[in-house]
Amino acid sequence: MPRLRNVALPVLATALAATALAGCGGSGSGGGGNTVTMWTYPVIFDEAKNKEYWDGLVKKFEKKHKGIEVKVETFPWANRDTSLATAIGSGKGPDVVYLVPDQLPKYARNIVPADDYMPEKARADYTGFALKSVTAQDGKLLGTPVLTSANPLICDKRVFEKIGEKEYPSTWEDLEKLGPKLKKKGYYATSYSGDTQQTLNLTFYPLLWQAGGDVFSKDGKKVAFNGKEGVRALTYLKKLVDGGMTDKDLVTTTPKLEQTPVAKGKVACTWQNTPADVEPFWGKKNTVVRPPLKDAKSIGYGTVGALSMLKGANTEAAGDWINFVAEPENAAGLEKQSSNFPARKSAKELYGDDEVQSAVGDTLPKMNAGPVKDKAREAMGVLAPEIQHALLGKKSPKKALDDAAKAAEAQLARR
Amino acid sequence: MTTTVGDPPRRRRKGGPLTRREARAGLLFVLPCFLLFVAFRFGPGIAGVLMSFTDYTLTGGGRFTGLDNFTRLWDDPVFWQALKVTAVYVVIAVPGTLVLSTGLALLTRRAFRGSKLFRSVFFLPVVTSLVLAATVFVWIFSTGGPWATVVSWFGMSEDSWLTDDFLVLPALAVVGIWSRFGYGMLILLARMQDIPRELEEAAVTDGAGPWQRFRHIVLPQLKPAVFFLAVIETTASFQVFDAVYTMTGGGPANASYTLVFQLYDAGFKYFELGYAAAIGVALFALTLVVAVVQRLVIGKDQ
Repeated sequence: MPRLRNVALPVLATALAATALAGCGGSGSGGGGNTVTMWTYPVIFDEAKNKEYWDGLVKKFEKKHKGIEVKVETFPWANRDTSLATAIGSGKGPDVVYLVPDQLPKYARNIVPADDYMPEKARADYTGFALKSVTAQDGKLLGTPVLTSANPLICDKRVFEKIGEKEYPSTWEDLEKLGPKLKKKGYYATSYSGDTQQTLNLTFYPLLWQAGGDVFSKDGKKVAFNGKEGVRALTYLKKLVDGGMTDKDLVTTTPKLEQTPVAKGKVACTWQNTPADVEPFWGKKNTVVRPPLKDAKSIGYGTVGALSMLKGANTEAAGDWINFVAEPENAAGLEKQSSNFPARKSAKELYGDDEVQSAVGDTLPKMNAGPVKDKAREAMGVLAPEIQHALLGKKSPKKALDDAAKAAEAQLARR
Repeated sequence: MTTTVGDPPRRRRKGGPLTRREARAGLLFVLPCFLLFVAFRFGPGIAGVLMSFTDYTLTGGGRFTGLDNFTRLWDDPVFWQALKVTAVYVVIAVPGTLVLSTGLALLTRRAFRGSKLFRSVFFLPVVTSLVLAATVFVWIFSTGGPWATVVSWFGMSEDSWLTDDFLVLPALAVVGIWSRFGYGMLILLARMQDIPRELEEAAVTDGAGPWQRFRHIVLPQLKPAVFFLAVIETTASFQVFDAVYTMTGGGPANASYTLVFQLYDAGFKYFELGYAAAIGVALFALTLVVAVVQRLVIGKDQ
């Protein structure tokens, strides 16, 4: 018995060590040969429907393209950059990944430009908004759009009924004028989220664009947000905060949607939520869709969902798969089930019977997906805290924007 | 009855040194953990230090850039702001956790009806997800929320502490202390069980009051545990991130932007992995220096 133990102990321990180390390894998910791996996210929120959509599409594709195997993996939205960056860094990234314009410049060096595999006919079929949103500064396409979305101004009909107002705001001035009346009855005119982790594409940039400004200069070499349009936009926003027309707590924190004044029916209009977001709280019949607010022009934030091919993929197989998914009849299921819109001009109308969604779709040409620039995130990183400075009265709007511009220029100067 | 005197039995005396075979088996059992430690802690640590001397990005194969990342860090006002924020947080959170842990350990160290329940309840925050708890704390600290209501009884404003650049760190420290005091309490409780009752009973006989007993009998005996906790808590506080990320996103206006937050942004938002590694190295050096100072101040007799 002792002899058995003498032998068994080291064997057991070594086996444990081997098992533990085996758990550390793992085969790469990146594809060689004719296997295409794709990472996506719950664009279709319902897990079962999401799986059904992709399974069906893969089956259809594999039937048409004998010899190519496609593996679609759905990851959570949370920390998606962390996991994707880590996977790419360790050589285990997928062949194809779902990205939005905000992410594209950061992965640009790992992306095979869609110009290499997108058919000319398909390219000509994309809407200007969709194509512009995935085009890098050098003119290359960093992804193939498969859906588009819009964040127009949406208003809560119940709030307007409570204050006896029939007209919905179209301009900055209209919204500001409504403020005191709304405040008197315990409502906010809007809801501005200043949390630095929120993308400015959704929060401040629409105001900047509406004032006629932009984040970067046309050649992309300098920031432009501290021009007179930027100062005008931030001054307007500060007026909303100081006047109690938006919840001051939201300048620094973003609670869960259900804890926000928007969900509680306390906000007249917002450009930071979509009808799909507010429908469970407002009800569809109380959701009024308006074009984005206007100062110098009416423009809002909209985005594009794109499939990008990463370097190391089998270009032909992965390209075939991406082009297949992007076909209007194949992308339609993804677009409709996620309450989004087509990226192609030849796509069929998805929401003919749905007034709210149709109205959102009509605003797509007024949308901007934000700058597709290498240092776009760095610019946001320095601008967002300065906006908070201004909104909390620690700096004037001009000073805050100039300070942010100075810090952003230093970032731009870096390689 | 006869007895045979021969070689003494080879069996190891209880508590005596291990035989070579036992030592080998022991080492083999330790091997899995050791290998995991090398693979997932030591290895990445070394790799991180090496990476801090490169401009490593996602595409890999970064160039060796010498001390460039550290020079940049030195000149980066955001780094100094993050360092100041982190230091202030540590100064509030570590003593707060130690004091609360000690207080609650003293209150629950003797068995009384429900003492086990209290200990378990006090330990609950340690096993609660901080991200989930932080979501609740956002509401607790909101304008007109429970915290604001309570402090307004003492003449303070009902505005949210999370929107105030002076009060945001105390608010985050409250969350940090809440989430960690249970662990400290447990360590101190274990240590308190080892303090002989006779010592305190003798002190009572000599007329010592509760404070004198704590100051001259309990506290000196707790010193090794307090030193251990001080090091653990300082390390944890230097790495504060989850609560900040969930509750303030580093705001207002960078008033709660900590070093780990800067590291996270550099690495996973801007993908400047070399620079992020340099921030990590700086953080490691700082934590090490503070731990050594703590050793000299609190743990010198141990």
